[in-house]
Amino acid sequence: MTPTRDSSQRVYLDHAATTPVRPEVRAAMEPFLTDEAFGNPSSAHWAGRPARAALAEARECIAAAVGAEPHQVVFTSGGTEADNLAVLGGALAARATGRPFRVAVSAIEHKAVLDAARVVERLGGEMVLLPVSAGGQVEPAAVDAALEQGVALLSVMWVNNETGAVQDVVSLAEHADQAGVPFHTDAVQALGKLPCTMADAPITLLTLSGHKIGALKGAGALIVRDKQVLEPLLHGGGQQEGVRPGTENVAGAVGLGVAVKLASAEQTETEHHTRALRDDLERRVIDALRDATVNGRDGTRAPHISSIAIPGADSNALLMQLDVAGIACSAGSACATGTASPSHVLMATGLPDELASASVRFSFGHQSREQDVDRVIEVLPDAVQRVRTLVASLAEGA
Amino acid sequence: MSPGKVLVAMSGGVDSSVAAALLVEQGYEVIGATMKLFCYGDTVADRPCCSLDSIQDAATVAERLDVPHYVLDFEDRFQQFVVQDFVSEYAGGRTPIPCVRCNTFTKFRDLLAHADALGCDHIATGHYTIVRDGALYRGRDRLKDQTYFMWGIDRGVVERMLTPIGELTKEETRSLARRLDLATAEKPESVEICFVPDGDYAAVLEQHLPTDAPSLSPGPIRTTGGEVIGEHRGFARYTIGQRRGLPGGFAHPMYVVGIEPEERAVVVGTADELFGHCVELQEVNWLAEPLQPGDTCEVQVRYRSKPTAALVKEGAGGRLALDLAEPVRAITPGQSGALYDGEQLLGGGVIN
Repeated sequence: MTPTRDSSQRVYLDHAATTPVRPEVRAAMEPFLTDEAFGNPSSAHWAGRPARAALAEARECIAAAVGAEPHQVVFTSGGTEADNLAVLGGALAARATGRPFRVAVSAIEHKAVLDAARVVERLGGEMVLLPVSAGGQVEPAAVDAALEQGVALLSVMWVNNETGAVQDVVSLAEHADQAGVPFHTDAVQALGKLPCTMADAPITLLTLSGHKIGALKGAGALIVRDKQVLEPLLHGGGQQEGVRPGTENVAGAVGLGVAVKLASAEQTETEHHTRALRDDLERRVIDALRDATVNGRDGTRAPHISSIAIPGADSNALLMQLDVAGIACSAGSACATGTASPSHVLMATGLPDELASASVRFSFGHQSREQDVDRVIEVLPDAVQRVRTLVASLAEGA
Repeated sequence: MSPGKVLVAMSGGVDSSVAAALLVEQGYEVIGATMKLFCYGDTVADRPCCSLDSIQDAATVAERLDVPHYVLDFEDRFQQFVVQDFVSEYAGGRTPIPCVRCNTFTKFRDLLAHADALGCDHIATGHYTIVRDGALYRGRDRLKDQTYFMWGIDRGVVERMLTPIGELTKEETRSLARRLDLATAEKPESVEICFVPDGDYAAVLEQHLPTDAPSLSPGPIRTTGGEVIGEHRGFARYTIGQRRGLPGGFAHPMYVVGIEPEERAVVVGTADELFGHCVELQEVNWLAEPLQPGDTCEVQVRYRSKPTAALVKEGAGGRLALDLAEPVRAITPGQSGALYDGEQLLGGGVIN
């Protein structure tokens, strides 16, 4: 049996892409997937009541975990929708109230933020792209300049999904607050990996995603501290105070609530567990491949993500090699065709093109094991060698 | 015991889908790969076999067959080896066949490099050709036979090639696809050059050449006797044997019989003047023992045209001169001369 088919040989180190649904999450959702609790949470009758109560409980779980109020939890179809609502909704609200129709975002944001900001441009507004250091941290001077110029919203992600770069979110939020600018952070990769709370920071909007922490794909939330700063993008039946109308995905929201609660409760443990595995992986990869380097190593990094540049090892080809050996990981941002173009994140940190297209990302989760790292170390050197031979043979033809 | 590991080029069309399915049935360990050859972007509407949809179709078939599927990004290489050559050939007054270069450089050579990297014994494609004992033969379906485009591939590649549908007719391939319930069973044929939208190759040239390029600038149309009878809008818009776009008013129908890039001239003549008695090939490649002066074979100078008996006059340094047993119409520089012994493809070259 080939490794990709043999589950005992499979290694999953792509937790920044998605994670399996946790059993606790599945159990909690179960009643809402049967006729036991199928009601519409907006219905006043008996069928609606359990659904409404479950939504309320999910909101409480999430609010408690991130230091917000339950009514501030707005369920969305995931991180992408939450980011779009924050950036585009924030810009549109500013335009409507005569504030600057301009958003400031870091150069290493997820495409959900960057492309939403580009829509602001297309609508006649402006996007200020904030540069980052080699470690991936946004340049404070650029932030201050943008705030001084006047923006509808400052959006900087808490943890970058490709390199794990961590931002000083508290300080950024405070700067924005002093300038009277709403602050949004995409915390999709931060929750459960770092202490991730709004309690001590004036964060206006915070994005969460379910499937990165063992809940369902298609379930996420935007924590909205001040709904005045947002114009809704969807319009309909007025659910969720009109900020995001539409009958709520009850099962998804319940699952999200449980997953956020677990992620938050297990945060310290997950942080230590993933950091130990990641550090071990990086040390052993560099031991085995002398010229490999860890991207963003000079900055603060989240514990669960490792982006490694391997000179001469084209990442598309290397990913195929690893997949054939049963190892799932990823390169930069995968495009719709399944090929990866050089990552905008790595390029923004100043990594040269040839290293950006020769970088792979391993990302860990709470069920990752030491054997996963062992298997990578067993497979990687040969795989890299084969890719280098391939690259050389293609170059010879050229 | 598996007969081996094979990297199958899956374009997202029905032929390569069935090829992959047959190899799975035969017990091969199959890895599917779709070569992304150029940026489909916003400029070119979706086309059969050459679009993001096609990559998706290939992935769907691979899922159905339960085999891994990858996308190989060949965009830069396709641009370098195929599109640039296509443009410079037209600019030089010839009529190139990009599919030949694509087969020679991209489809087979680069695919084999990837196969090696993945530890595959073979590569496979959905071509209507037969591979037997390291030699290439025409596909059983003569209307679909693709050997004409394959003379340039390396002999070492042929030894590792599998063409599982070479013995099938197109109809048999389709009915197999239906029986196997493959999503691509009813997909329409792609007949055009994949990177040339709507067959408008001049538009591609305009995109790649400067606006004042000689090949796209006006020049004289003259007869074989030297009489100028009109003006054309660029010789790259003409090919040997063409009637369209020529001035009328002659006693006999007139055809393009020559292009003279130095003078920017398009030369026209009667149907009789279109016929040639010899063929000169360059960039000759052999898939069998090289022919020597005095040897005979058959040469085919156009896709789907009838091969003609020929005698090798001389051959050296990648060149080959052949005398034809009977005159052949519209022998066109840039097109291919494929050499056959009956069903077997012996090799070929680019017509000079």
